[in-house]
Amino acid sequence: MVKEIEKAGIPVVQMCNLIPVATTVGANKIVPTISIPYPLGDPDTPKEQQWKLRYHRVGVALDALTVDVDEQTVFKVKI
Amino acid sequence: MKAIHYINQFFAGIGGEEKADHKPEIREGLVGPSLALNSMLDAEVTHTIVCGDNYMGSNTEEAVSTILGFLEGKEFDIFVAGPAFQAGRYGVACGTICKAVKEKFNVPVLTSMNEENPGVEMFKRDVVIFKGGKSAAKLRDDVKVMAEYGNKVLTGKALGPADEEGYFSRGIRSQVWLESEATAAQRGVEMLIRKLKGETYETELPIPKQDMVPIAPPIKDLSEANIALVTSGGIVPIDNPDRIQSASATRWGKYDISDIENLESGVYKTIHAGYDPTAADLDPDVVVPLDVMKEYLREGRIGKLHKYFYSTVGTGTTQAEAARMGREIVENLKEDKVDGVILTST
Amino acid sequence: MITIKGCEGMKLEIGNFQVNDVVFGKKTEFSGGTLTINKEEAMTFIKEDEHITDLDIVIAKPGENTRIVPVKEAVEPRIRPDGRPVFPGVTGDVEAAGEGKVHALKGCSVLGVGMHYGSFGDGLIDMGGEGAKYTLFSELINICIVADTDEEYERFEQQKKNTAIRMATHRLAEYLGNTVKELEPDTIESFELEPVTKRKKEINDLQSVVLVMQPQSQMEEIGYNDLVYGWDMNKYVPTFMHPNEVLDGAMISGSFMPSSSKWSTYDFQNFPTIKELYKEHGKSINFLGVIMSNLNVSLEQKKRSSIFVAQMAKSLGADGAIVTEEGYGNPDADYILCIAALEDVGVKTVGISNECTGRDGASQPLVTLDEKANALVSTGNVSQLIELPPADKVIGELEALARDGLSGGWAYDEILGPSVREDGSIIMENNAMFCGDRIAGWSTKTMKEF
Repeated sequence: MVKEIEKAGIPVVQMCNLIPVATTVGANKIVPTISIPYPLGDPDTPKEQQWKLRYHRVGVALDALTVDVDEQTVFKVKI
Repeated sequence: MKAIHYINQFFAGIGGEEKADHKPEIREGLVGPSLALNSMLDAEVTHTIVCGDNYMGSNTEEAVSTILGFLEGKEFDIFVAGPAFQAGRYGVACGTICKAVKEKFNVPVLTSMNEENPGVEMFKRDVVIFKGGKSAAKLRDDVKVMAEYGNKVLTGKALGPADEEGYFSRGIRSQVWLESEATAAQRGVEMLIRKLKGETYETELPIPKQDMVPIAPPIKDLSEANIALVTSGGIVPIDNPDRIQSASATRWGKYDISDIENLESGVYKTIHAGYDPTAADLDPDVVVPLDVMKEYLREGRIGKLHKYFYSTVGTGTTQAEAARMGREIVENLKEDKVDGVILTST
Repeated sequence: MITIKGCEGMKLEIGNFQVNDVVFGKKTEFSGGTLTINKEEAMTFIKEDEHITDLDIVIAKPGENTRIVPVKEAVEPRIRPDGRPVFPGVTGDVEAAGEGKVHALKGCSVLGVGMHYGSFGDGLIDMGGEGAKYTLFSELINICIVADTDEEYERFEQQKKNTAIRMATHRLAEYLGNTVKELEPDTIESFELEPVTKRKKEINDLQSVVLVMQPQSQMEEIGYNDLVYGWDMNKYVPTFMHPNEVLDGAMISGSFMPSSSKWSTYDFQNFPTIKELYKEHGKSINFLGVIMSNLNVSLEQKKRSSIFVAQMAKSLGADGAIVTEEGYGNPDADYILCIAALEDVGVKTVGISNECTGRDGASQPLVTLDEKANALVSTGNVSQLIELPPADKVIGELEALARDGLSGGWAYDEILGPSVREDGSIIMENNAMFCGDRIAGWSTKTMKEF
């Protein structure tokens, strides 16, 4: 699906845990998530902490939409 | 059983390059190579269609339409084109007409051409193309291979894999029980022993080449941009109104999020069977981060949040279906002039 | 407890008793090739677990026009003459396995079948007709525990632990194995590997090989995953095991993996790839042992496991490795990651797995790819569509295939209709054929291009 969106000229960032899957599939901009069953918020942590993590990583994804890259890029996250 | 054969102007004896504009015609009975085909096929070749390679190349739509018209109302169980050897325009013509006939009449279609023929790359996925010789000197051999396979198809006999039957793989992988009954354990250990010794071996799962998509131009101003959320994590409203499947999905849904601030447990859930659903059901925002997107919208970090999020399920879903769903979703995104997408996967 | 003395290898002797028929009768015993079961007593034994609320035992034989669904587990009946548990940490105390004598009833298996409800990882078996070829279990006499339980918390969940039914199969397998405790086996299979650094020169000079096994361990909550000596393999990091431990009950199957990719306990007890490596040991290879890894879900955990696997293989001095995964999809990432990690430390690899190539056979077969994975065995396509006529008899509940979220069944599809039709015929994906892709090594199926 990522490829179809990108083919149409719409920049897309894939947020996923299995980076190798995304790179194999051909996603160009990738932001890592923390796990598969809970990509953006660990249920064993307090709600506030989950929010902070989600806010940060989605923020990285939004910024990634504005960045010019010339090859598949995995964007780094801080938390 | 009846068959119809397609050949070009040269093999019909009409002429060479100078006659390549020959308009399509259908003749009763046999012409040129169809004599050979008729003698080898267990079906009667009732008609031969002749068309100039240039005509087909330059007026493809018309040519195909005319030929399909010829075939209306005719009885035929199989359609054969060529063999085209290395003749590029002829190979492309054979591929084109075979594909069209298959789509319209749903009969088995066969053709043959040399591996160098551009028609191979263009049509091998859609049509059974036999590996043919380089020149017309191989005519009888190439026709024979097609006829033998054609006979199997017509009598409903079991068909072997591409390299055994002699055609270019269509990229369709299918289960086969080995006659030798060699077990996976035996095959694996033998393959390893050969690899360790430096001997040749054949992998049963060739790693396909990656096909990359050109990178879309980045967004210039995020604060003016319209951003959409898409997910393959299967987050849907609690009653799964679009009945999206938990695996091997062929359906996707779009859900209006314009009036809510986040995805609440009990209102939304996940139907994706391939991962532990506990966390997602407890707080769907961990898969589709609507809550933070709404915050970014309030802050003015993004200009607009597209009013729907799009959802389907990623496990077991074929690439073909995922691509189709992707295209359909793209239509919706384009309509609202979405500038960028965040796609979350599980 | 058996202590390992000096330089002798761990030796396991499996005493085999060929079972030609299984019948109900007055006394539970094995004689002349026939296993007789006192049904009442067996049912009383099973019902010692109060979670079993409704129960039947049904015998299914090869060739019968019988369909069994939803199947949750399969176990080969065995007993240890010395009194140790057949499944340490599961049917008894945690004791070392892989050495000494164990007796096995061959040609039959105990199946755990839901009386009504199925789950994502459950499967189907056709004992006869066109459907029989899709699973090994059509060739065995199956003693089916058909049960309903009080596990209300998961009755309508797609993912189920199926604890009561699965544990019943291990217990009954040992109960039935008891019939041959004191008897002389028909044949004996002997498995022995010397300690790695104490092997004879002729063996050490051969190319050395490890088998890397990746059993499923995806669920974070305990109760669904494969167990090693009773320990949940999600909370586990790879370790070096003796292949005899695998053959001797140290591993039991879990309750999550889509059925055709599953290694049932029966598969572990008989793991053909281990037996094949044993066959070649001392001839063309030096079989070092098993690196038992797992299949956790997050990238970090996958990387950690692959680091352990590659390091152990390297430190053992392995020249080659076979890597095999109990799964498709997410687990492909572990599979490819381990293969690449091993190749990177100079260990030549071969992989054995199945594929998920889509119903059209044209999708990417594995979820991640790497050119280093250049030697792979493929045992089938989970997505392949299978259509079968109605069966005369159904053990379990047929509707479970369509209704309960089995990986290869569905309730509704615009084009194909439901998986279970009114006349009892079915359309499903290979995905739900019980252990259908025989990844443990039995598979005579492969994938070819058409």
